[in-house]
Amino acid sequence: MISKIKKQDLSFLFLELQKTHNIIGHKIEKDVLMLSSIDFGDIPAGYTDSQAAGMYRLVKSDNHDIFTFSSGPDSFKRYLNPPYSEVFAYQVSKRKFNASAIKSYDNPFAFFGMRACDRAALKFYDRVFLEGVVRDSCYETLRDNLLIIALNCLYPGDNCFCLSAGTGPEFTDGYDLLITELEEEFLLETGSRTGSRLINSLPLISVNQKDIEEKALRIKNCKEKFKKTIIFSELPELVYRNLEHPRWSDIAGRDLECGNCTQVCPTCFCTSAFYNLEFRGIAKNFSTLSGKKIKKWDSCFSRNFARVHGGNFRISRRARYRHWFAHKLAYSMEQFGLLGCVGCGRCITWCPAGIDITQELEALRDVR
Amino acid sequence: MLDKSIPFEAVIKWIKKETRDTSTYALKISDSEIQKAFSYKPGQFSMLSVGGIGEAPISISSAPSDHDMTYTIRVAGDVTTAISRLSAGDTIGIRGPFGKGWPLDEIYDSELLLIAGGLGIAPLRPVIKEVLKKHKKNFTKRRPVIIYGSKTPKDIIFRNEFPAYRELFDVSMIVNFADPEEYWKGQIGIVTDSLKKISFNPLNAIAFICGPEVMMQAAAKELVIAGVPGEKIFVSLERNMNCGIGICGHCMFGSKFVCKDGPVFRLTEIEDLFGVKEI
Repeated sequence: MISKIKKQDLSFLFLELQKTHNIIGHKIEKDVLMLSSIDFGDIPAGYTDSQAAGMYRLVKSDNHDIFTFSSGPDSFKRYLNPPYSEVFAYQVSKRKFNASAIKSYDNPFAFFGMRACDRAALKFYDRVFLEGVVRDSCYETLRDNLLIIALNCLYPGDNCFCLSAGTGPEFTDGYDLLITELEEEFLLETGSRTGSRLINSLPLISVNQKDIEEKALRIKNCKEKFKKTIIFSELPELVYRNLEHPRWSDIAGRDLECGNCTQVCPTCFCTSAFYNLEFRGIAKNFSTLSGKKIKKWDSCFSRNFARVHGGNFRISRRARYRHWFAHKLAYSMEQFGLLGCVGCGRCITWCPAGIDITQELEALRDVR
Repeated sequence: MLDKSIPFEAVIKWIKKETRDTSTYALKISDSEIQKAFSYKPGQFSMLSVGGIGEAPISISSAPSDHDMTYTIRVAGDVTTAISRLSAGDTIGIRGPFGKGWPLDEIYDSELLLIAGGLGIAPLRPVIKEVLKKHKKNFTKRRPVIIYGSKTPKDIIFRNEFPAYRELFDVSMIVNFADPEEYWKGQIGIVTDSLKKISFNPLNAIAFICGPEVMMQAAAKELVIAGVPGEKIFVSLERNMNCGIGICGHCMFGSKFVCKDGPVFRLTEIEDLFGVKEI
């Protein structure tokens, strides 16, 4: 179903959604667009971000549109695979080992303003957590109840390359409700029954042919604004052929191994687990220990990531960058049938050394 | 289906000291329902956990048909040190079994070569025991071979079991250094030295290799040179397995998750990257 709504009437959608869902969307926090639980008033209307390798500035644009911003450092992965989560609680003594799952129930999430790149990343996550040997029950619960209010991206950031990564900027499926901003109104397209039910009570306006044409024109204009590209058809072979390319050592000289790229990447999923020990004052019986198993985001740039007793499989910076890069652009295709890079450009913007994944890929083409 | 994300309680039935730093632990899962559901194949591993310390991936060293499920553990890190401080009757957490094991259905009528280095004999022990128990008659034409390399004679694991293995297997043991304190009349050198000496029909051979990665690379290379097809060479990789189900990313070897796609790989699956440094 396709319909239209006046721009200010989008607040009714929020009122409707808030009854059942925790709306997660973009909000300005400390001069950066972050994701958090939002209200209609929090939408950073008319803000735009100027991005370059290692540079991000949020500025008020003179554009009359509302959704003129692209992605900030935050991605929706934080809500489905939290940076810090508790896996299970345990009580152990010499004679007893007891572990029990921790379950918490909150309002389900509604992701508001999800772009096509982040939607592609969600598809990647589904393959990781739901289509492996075991389904991750925690992820599955969150995912099943998730509502996606998608947004067709019309103002790509300076580091975006979703068009050439084959993930955006336009949505074709995978949403409950899709918003496209027009000159005067929002075009609403429903993609599921939940989506249709959601907009039933809104003050909708009927759509005419002109609106559909305007949407197509706006998306066409958007596609012309992209500045960065990768050549999708050469992957993964280009990477596999060049695992010993001198460029890796060159990158290692610039790389700070801070792990920013893995934290902002919407498809990076690696975690480490720890046993936390809880001290509860002076226990009467020291022989019983209790605590929780904690899962935290990890990064393949961390030195201990591939460490085993007696050795480390990726000791050099060169190898760790190569691993990350090759996982994004080559390994992932074999593992999950999808490119691990969705073209959001976050790793370029948030790299303090300004390492640009598209340029490094291009450099691999050079004959050594 | 077993929940593989939460450890179950298991009790240490007995402990057998193998060498100065390695012991074999027999574990019994306390819950009888889970005990029944916990069926494993030779070459698979489990995550053993000690409360408050952490988890470690340990391969199962007993055969599925054995009475006790055993794990042979060398003291190496925090978790294995903590395990070494436990005694019979104590409890431990266990998750698993994980991974794909050795392809036992491919060994019939072949010349079986088991090549182990150090603790790498532990995941191969279930294969030896299965062959001894069930498949003796499949090896009447040609005796299977065990090549076992160890640092010193003192580091030989399952030492008392080898006489029984020799009934069916041709065992060739080799040590890097012969201890001055101990009389050693066997070979001195590395596994590939021993491998070069044995004769086999390369087109009918199947090799299972487990040990340090350099040793596996050298042995696999030697076999390929001898003419064994890559499809018939299997290696068991060691990586930093953390979750066991392919969602934590630690154990990646190229595009493979060692925990769920391995730890046993056919050489042809990984040979493009096997030997690439720091992959």
